[in-house]
Amino acid sequence: MSENVFKINNLNLYYGQFQALKNISLQLKKNKVTALIGPSGCGKSTFLRSLNRMNDLIDDCHIDGDILYHQNNIYQRGYDVITLRTKVGMVFQKPNPFPMSIYDNVVYGPRCQGIKNKKKLDDLVEESLKKAALWEEVKDRLKDSALDLSGGQQQRLCIARAIAMEPEVILMDEPTSALDPIATLKIEDLINELKENYAIVIVTHSMQQAARISDETAFFLMGEIIEYGSTDTIFSNPKEKQTEDYITGRFG
Amino acid sequence: MSMSNKRKRIDVLLQTITYSAAIIAVLILSMIVFFIFKNGSSLLSIDLITSDYHAQFYNGGIDEVNDFSHTEKPEYLTEDDYYSSKWGLALRDERDKQGDLMIEVAFIADDSPLKQMVDKNNPDNNNFSLEEGQVVTTIKFYDKNSALTIYGAQHMIQELDEVNTFREIVFSSQGGGIRGSLISTLYVIGMTLVVALPVGIFTAIYLNEFAKKNRVTNILRSMVEMLTGVPSIIFGLMGLAVFVPLTVNYTKATSGNLISGSLTLAVILLPVIIRATEESLKVVPDELRSASLALGANRTQTTFKVVLSSALPGILTGTLLSIGRIIGESAALIFAIGTAVKDDISIFGKSTTLSVQIWSLMTDEPANIELASTIALLILITVLILNLLVKLISSRYMKKFA
Repeated sequence: MSENVFKINNLNLYYGQFQALKNISLQLKKNKVTALIGPSGCGKSTFLRSLNRMNDLIDDCHIDGDILYHQNNIYQRGYDVITLRTKVGMVFQKPNPFPMSIYDNVVYGPRCQGIKNKKKLDDLVEESLKKAALWEEVKDRLKDSALDLSGGQQQRLCIARAIAMEPEVILMDEPTSALDPIATLKIEDLINELKENYAIVIVTHSMQQAARISDETAFFLMGEIIEYGSTDTIFSNPKEKQTEDYITGRFG
Repeated sequence: MSMSNKRKRIDVLLQTITYSAAIIAVLILSMIVFFIFKNGSSLLSIDLITSDYHAQFYNGGIDEVNDFSHTEKPEYLTEDDYYSSKWGLALRDERDKQGDLMIEVAFIADDSPLKQMVDKNNPDNNNFSLEEGQVVTTIKFYDKNSALTIYGAQHMIQELDEVNTFREIVFSSQGGGIRGSLISTLYVIGMTLVVALPVGIFTAIYLNEFAKKNRVTNILRSMVEMLTGVPSIIFGLMGLAVFVPLTVNYTKATSGNLISGSLTLAVILLPVIIRATEESLKVVPDELRSASLALGANRTQTTFKVVLSSALPGILTGTLLSIGRIIGESAALIFAIGTAVKDDISIFGKSTTLSVQIWSLMTDEPANIELASTIALLILITVLILNLLVKLISSRYMKKFA
């Protein structure tokens, strides 16, 4: 039985008057890949972004309910968002490496936390790039601009960049939607390896991808979780009619 | 059928208008460039850049000479270089930077008696000699008429060959150079950027990254935009009314000076730099900001490590354009610095930038169109180079983010 990293109770999220998330309750477990599926605009990305409080950037966004990260409500007054984000990493839809060298990209996060030791940073770069399955391809050109890499390499660099923070959870917002099938396959393999060390939450539009890589699946619709359970159950024997319709493509 | 004919006629008309408009624009522009080239290219030389504007005059005397030079005429001299082997001196008729006749020293031998003269203005000066490139104005003899510029170099050499000594030689350095203006232009560029860049860039960062989107910010932004449209002579008035007294009170300056001029230019450039920086900050993708924040960086780290480095090419472009603006600005500086062309440049003193020197030359009596055009040509070339650099940077930048 793996332990819960995140425990979400009755989460409601509003953009101004509009309620984007309704009554979400969910547990995210260590060493598991949780896939969030659902049609566009159903709130899965919003939910993902509320886990590391990236929604703070949106002006009139407010929430009620609890998001407990190791029993602490991350939305309570005075909670250290910076530390939360070092523990909950994020990979975005479009590869977004910084316009600097590959090396500087990987050590960006640690440097922001004040780590200056050259040896330590070097080790961190090697270790993170190895975990992200990118080391062999870039080890001879760490000082080159990250923008010269291909899209798939850039996305793996972004994963390496997140790993370098030694997080506990990695949030992925459609990480393969801008990539070709081969690059996608590499990222999926990577996710499979990464779950040994991290809890992974992935938003995806691809049913096959969710089925291939995730252990648990949550189906979102109109800001609500319609069904949540093990991926096998959801895909082979969904309880709800809506889930079945969506998975089989009869919906939306 | 008639419909399509009408359509065709309108098409032809519209095309003719666009073509002719383009031709007129190109013609006018190339005429300006041609005018400047025609008038200015003859004076363009390294000499111009390295020499002073004001000629320095010397009066030399000489004792009875026993030991003449008798050096052979060097082979590289031509027939137009009139040579006296007795004095080891070659003179040549030339035109100065005003286009007037002058007699230039084409060659002087090391053992020439003219290398050891007495400085009549400063008898203690032991190292007083005529040098190559200097201009001989007059040679006054004891018992005959003086040799003057108007009689030419040949006459001067002949007269000189007949005597063993003379009363006085008046000679000068070649004036009409732009060294002083060039140096003060560089000073002004440097000082202006030192003031305007940090203030402008940080203001833009504040407006774009930190300021809440409210009315105060909007008012601030529209004021900045309004300032870009104010004619620079009004800023010049402000420089005269504010910065000149300020610098006179707090530095050793006594009147308009390079510091007050630079401060005035900095005010002119502030809105330009703010706008350029803000535009380049705006195009930095929000994904980069999110990525940085998601890695546990705070707002300040995100701004200065990621956003600013992405915006750097844009900021650099703005800076280069600003330099072009500084070089080209004249109206404001006429008030804030003054129009006296100087050779000894101090940031606390008056002097002219290149553009103001053009103004100064053209208000002289008579106007020196040649030199003014040459300076214009130099400015044109500099601005062209700056623009090419801007193009280069922005094309690199495009490649990066496309």
